[in-house]
Amino acid sequence: MITKTFIKEIKEMVRDGRVKLSFLIVIILLGVTLWIRIGHYQNINEQYKNATITEREVWNGQGEKNPHSAAHFGTYAFKPKYPLSLIDQGVDKYVGISIFLEAHKRNESQFSAAADQTGLGRFGDLSPDFILLFIIPLLIILLGFNSFTKEREMGTLKLLKSLGINNWKWMIGKWISLFFPIFIISSVLFLTSGILLFNLNDFGIFNWSSLLWLFLIYICYYIVFINIVLFVSIKAKKSGISLVILLSIWIISCLAAPKAASNIAESKYHYPTKQEFNTMIMKDKRNGLDGHNPWSKQAILLEKKVLKEYGVDSLNQLPFNFTAYRTQIGEEHEAEVYFKHYKYLREQYNQQTNIYKSLAIISPYLPTRFLSMAISNTDYATHWDFSDSAENYRIKTQKFLNDNTAQNTKFGERGYKAKADFWKKLPAFNYNPPKLNNILIQNKSNLIILGAWIIFSFGLFLFNSKKI
Amino acid sequence: MITTNNLTKIYGEQKALDQLNLRVNQGEIYCLLGANGAGKTTTINLLLGFIKPTSGIALIDNMSVHQNSQETKKKLAYIPENLMLYSSLTAIENLDYFSGISKKEFSKSELETFLIDAGLQKEVFNKRISTFSKGMRQKVGIAIALAKDAKALLLDEPTSGLDPKASNEFGLLLQKLCKKGVATLMATHDLFRAKEVATSIGIMKDGKLKEQFKGDKISLSKLEKVYLNTMDYKS
Repeated sequence: MITKTFIKEIKEMVRDGRVKLSFLIVIILLGVTLWIRIGHYQNINEQYKNATITEREVWNGQGEKNPHSAAHFGTYAFKPKYPLSLIDQGVDKYVGISIFLEAHKRNESQFSAAADQTGLGRFGDLSPDFILLFIIPLLIILLGFNSFTKEREMGTLKLLKSLGINNWKWMIGKWISLFFPIFIISSVLFLTSGILLFNLNDFGIFNWSSLLWLFLIYICYYIVFINIVLFVSIKAKKSGISLVILLSIWIISCLAAPKAASNIAESKYHYPTKQEFNTMIMKDKRNGLDGHNPWSKQAILLEKKVLKEYGVDSLNQLPFNFTAYRTQIGEEHEAEVYFKHYKYLREQYNQQTNIYKSLAIISPYLPTRFLSMAISNTDYATHWDFSDSAENYRIKTQKFLNDNTAQNTKFGERGYKAKADFWKKLPAFNYNPPKLNNILIQNKSNLIILGAWIIFSFGLFLFNSKKI
Repeated sequence: MITTNNLTKIYGEQKALDQLNLRVNQGEIYCLLGANGAGKTTTINLLLGFIKPTSGIALIDNMSVHQNSQETKKKLAYIPENLMLYSSLTAIENLDYFSGISKKEFSKSELETFLIDAGLQKEVFNKRISTFSKGMRQKVGIAIALAKDAKALLLDEPTSGLDPKASNEFGLLLQKLCKKGVATLMATHDLFRAKEVATSIGIMKDGKLKEQFKGDKISLSKLEKVYLNTMDYKS
């Protein structure tokens, strides 16, 4: 009977012109978005490749130069576009793709895609994640809102009941028939994406298991929607009422809840403005050692401490250049200041994320969105990770440069220049995004909430079998 | 095969059915006549197990409908006034689906045989139900009953709205089923069709069975007279 109901429902769906049209629209939209995103992905990665090579050539080709001048000359850390951003571009558009690494200062990432757009960018992009997160749930509603109400309205329910229909099997048949087309659409999209990504230049990051997880997350999201749609269709007296209720649920869970979560999170855990943030950093920097100022109180204290430590009377007697050493200690103080303030920002971000996660109880959209972005390496956590990695590289670079000056010059010596081949000795910046296992562990709560949504929605749906 | 013993259904203050006792044996067609609200549909709904009786018992093949709901449904077929089928499916697809619910699997040729036996022309087997007239839909309903091999048939005003030819064809079909031993209970307003096909006729009013006759023992004019008298109409 499950099979018979499945076949019957699919036949009805296929023969319904409205369903065919909506299916066609969704397929065309998915095709178009995939085509657009592939072009974009290839373009950005080509730029990344060229910029990385060019920047390294510039760094290596500095010739004979003072290391501290090179530190101020700086270099760039570039973030590549990750393969699964083809499906979910997450916050990539709003965060920058490169960070300028220089002495004394931790810079923010820059050149975000959104900043390069006109005000029309506010309307958003047509992307696969938009179709997957918003349009397919709408398609589920369109396909299933009258799944049970139509039987009541047409009068077939009475005939079915008179034939002694097994409610449970009938419901499962209907469930599978609603799941099947959604499964097919999702499978086609993910399989096509996988084949395309497998054949594109992706810097060796793409792996099928991440894509499979992403696919499973979306399938779970759709299962929740299918259960809710069928539950409402069982409970509603008329198809019109069912449609209105389901559209309201879609608006609340997909549109209102994420925005409300954002407002609540921002009001409870406020992010400082750029100006406030910079002022706090400047204040803390001033309270510590300035590597360039030999007359400051902290510099004099450092001088005394080093002389005592080495048991000498003058800086000239030290086995290294004290000026470079002081610059390095100043760098370390500044790095600590940045670490402290960025830690605060991160804590605020984590608190905001926790609010989002707690609101995931009212919307299956939220855990799905978080998981989708995380697996695609396009979430804010990945960006933080990239930013921290770039900062670590900056600190190591400064130490590499300052140590060279300290080891190769004497106190008071001026005009030192490192050899032309010195710059090549600095390892290139290489960032690896978090591994899938780590991502899943970090998003354990989202996985649990999504799992709870599935159990809860299945419960709602199946425990109503006697009420048909 | 179809039996009710003191079957009563009360909605609030309203007695929809009051101590109904009737019996339809195999091969009999029992026609229940009565005005709207007389209790005919309530009787059928009770026999289908759609509603619970306030008191009394409804039996199909000596099994209580309410205690053996699934078992009794296996022996029943039901055709309502407006048999609604899936409009985007063809006659044969509808028959295949509904007979599948009764856990019976048939080949395409077997399904076609049921439709032929129900009086449907072969040319329409693969046409969508949305193009069917009411009479044709009722024939699909009969085919469902045939496929199910139902021992009891419950009909709720099945000829209402049918043209005389279609109504006549439907009556002939019932008689055919009757010869196969099917017990039929038909609620109807159609005195003429009741007289034509019924082996027994009952007249209901205000939930009570007021009169009962053997079909062959009463003329149409007498039946009409008794009916009108029962309904307190002046002829």
